[in-house]
Amino acid sequence: MMNKKSMLSTMDPNTVSGVGRVFALLLICIAMGFVSPVFFTARNISLIITNASIMAILGVGLTVTVITCGPDLSVGSILTITAVVAVIMVKANFHFLLSFAVALIVGTSLGLLNGVLVTKIGLPSFISTYGLQWALFGFAYVILKGYVIYNFDADFRFIGNGYLFGHISMPIVVMMVVVFLGWFILRKTTIGRMFYATGANRDAARMSGIDTGKAILLAFGISGFLSALAGIVLVARINACQADIGKNILLPSLATVYMGGTRATGGQGGVFGTLVGAVIMTVVENGMNLLGVPSVWRNAIIGSLIILTVLANIAVSKQLEKAGSKV
Amino acid sequence: MIPFRSYIQKIQPVFWVTLLLMLVFNFFSSRFLSLHNIINLFQQGAVLLIVAAASTLVILSEGLDLSLGSVLTLSGITSVMSVNSGAPVSVAIGIGILTGLICGAITGTLISIFHMQPFIATLGIQGVYYGISLVLTDSVAILTKNSSFIFFGSRIGYLPMAALIGVGAFLLILLVFHKTPFGRYIVAIGGNESGTRLSGVNTRFWKWFLYTFAGGVTGFAGVLLASRLEAADPIVGVGWEFDAIAATILGGTSFQKGKGGVAGTALGVLLITVVRNGLNVIRTPSILQPALIGTILIIAIVIQVGLSMRSTKKEGKNKP
Repeated sequence: MMNKKSMLSTMDPNTVSGVGRVFALLLICIAMGFVSPVFFTARNISLIITNASIMAILGVGLTVTVITCGPDLSVGSILTITAVVAVIMVKANFHFLLSFAVALIVGTSLGLLNGVLVTKIGLPSFISTYGLQWALFGFAYVILKGYVIYNFDADFRFIGNGYLFGHISMPIVVMMVVVFLGWFILRKTTIGRMFYATGANRDAARMSGIDTGKAILLAFGISGFLSALAGIVLVARINACQADIGKNILLPSLATVYMGGTRATGGQGGVFGTLVGAVIMTVVENGMNLLGVPSVWRNAIIGSLIILTVLANIAVSKQLEKAGSKV
Repeated sequence: MIPFRSYIQKIQPVFWVTLLLMLVFNFFSSRFLSLHNIINLFQQGAVLLIVAAASTLVILSEGLDLSLGSVLTLSGITSVMSVNSGAPVSVAIGIGILTGLICGAITGTLISIFHMQPFIATLGIQGVYYGISLVLTDSVAILTKNSSFIFFGSRIGYLPMAALIGVGAFLLILLVFHKTPFGRYIVAIGGNESGTRLSGVNTRFWKWFLYTFAGGVTGFAGVLLASRLEAADPIVGVGWEFDAIAATILGGTSFQKGKGGVAGTALGVLLITVVRNGLNVIRTPSILQPALIGTILIIAIVIQVGLSMRSTKKEGKNKP
């Protein structure tokens, strides 16, 4: 006979926590519905999903780096500098596709630079990426000089506020492509296995013949590319860009990844969790807005959310280990 | 701890880079090496000297504290708020230090009791401390006119109080590091944590104590900064944690295996202060400065770490 506990222990641990996460999201939504009458309006729901898309695009890149060797703390600054590059170019009458391409190349290069600092110079990722962000925010400020650039062409804005086939919002389309590709690379390719192996135990991975340096370089490259993509979608959506556009995005995007169940210690996690995490994060931010929580509280709330999530993740993995060892 | 001689060798490049930068700045503006500006340098570097010493202790234990900038901010705010509400200056200073201690104790609890990774715990808690700073001040700087509070940041003739206090505090931390069991445990934990625990040291307590100590020290630095600026600003500490980490690395401390020491950090602080002050003295447009400083620091770190990696490789080759 099976009691509840042994049921739990025979299930895949990731499925258990995944179901728990979706359940938590539903609970938060229902609670929000009770507290705020506007929460379940079609307008608000579509707002949440569209905002969550940008968070998820950023989150997928961050997830890959967290799995491989540690979070890319420069995502907010790469998002900023690439968004600035894109809007400057499009305002200088370059074709919008060229400006996207240049922004994506800049983002990928900066990501690769992070990778080189980690693999070739030997800096820990949280120091090189954390350090790089100050320089990048500085350059964004130099380029824009405190001005706000706004009002772009419809072509440029399509990726942020357009609708595919007249109904599906473009950020959602981009997000779905990114999440699918992220899932595919992580789960179905050798590169993905390299990422997980490197994150789980770098020395062991290297000794079993995996090119861990290449894995780290690629992970940061992907993160830089997706930060740039998220930046483009973001400025296209809000139709304006300033030098601090990405300054407050690091904490929520980190929260997104950890709420998605990706382990802070690396080697475990996935993009679907991040997607759910992005929706939870957006619902929380949306909830703070609807409830009129003063914006000064925002950082404190998101910071505590990160800590609570990581603490919960640690507790859950300990429980699962215990349950696993009993079988 | 690494032998003194190789330690000196390790921090050599920073010394030469600093000297070179000083000459370059002096070439562009002869005011740079004037007595007045050198005193300025000491005054400006004083607060960073204290924070960086705290950061070095944490990094020596193979930890990291990204919340120091926010602790600096928050403790400055609580001390200025209490002095403005009529508390005696000694009490206000005490409240600032206490704020730092509490912040550090919370961080330490997350890391040593709940086994969170230092950089996540301190990054998350950074958001919380900045959040509290913003809430307390409602996002605007609080000024203070209390003459005995701002005395600690002022000058007596040519004598900058902040520099004296900063150097004094640094020497005290150096003493704690070299002459107490606490200092030895830090290095031991950084070198081999489980080995240290097995040899009977309560590593959990000492790690907790380390973050609490770093918080308290930074709290004191926050009071000093507020006293020098005659104000507490809710965003004054943004980025200080990175300056402190950069100074630590430039001072020859590595993030692995507890290698390095507190003394070298002073050199790192000197380099950073020279860069910040020099860019001002040669009248670099203020809009360019954050980008320039960020880039210079990254390059300096890359050079320092790259060179020390090369020298450790050489050492390895020489050994049979």
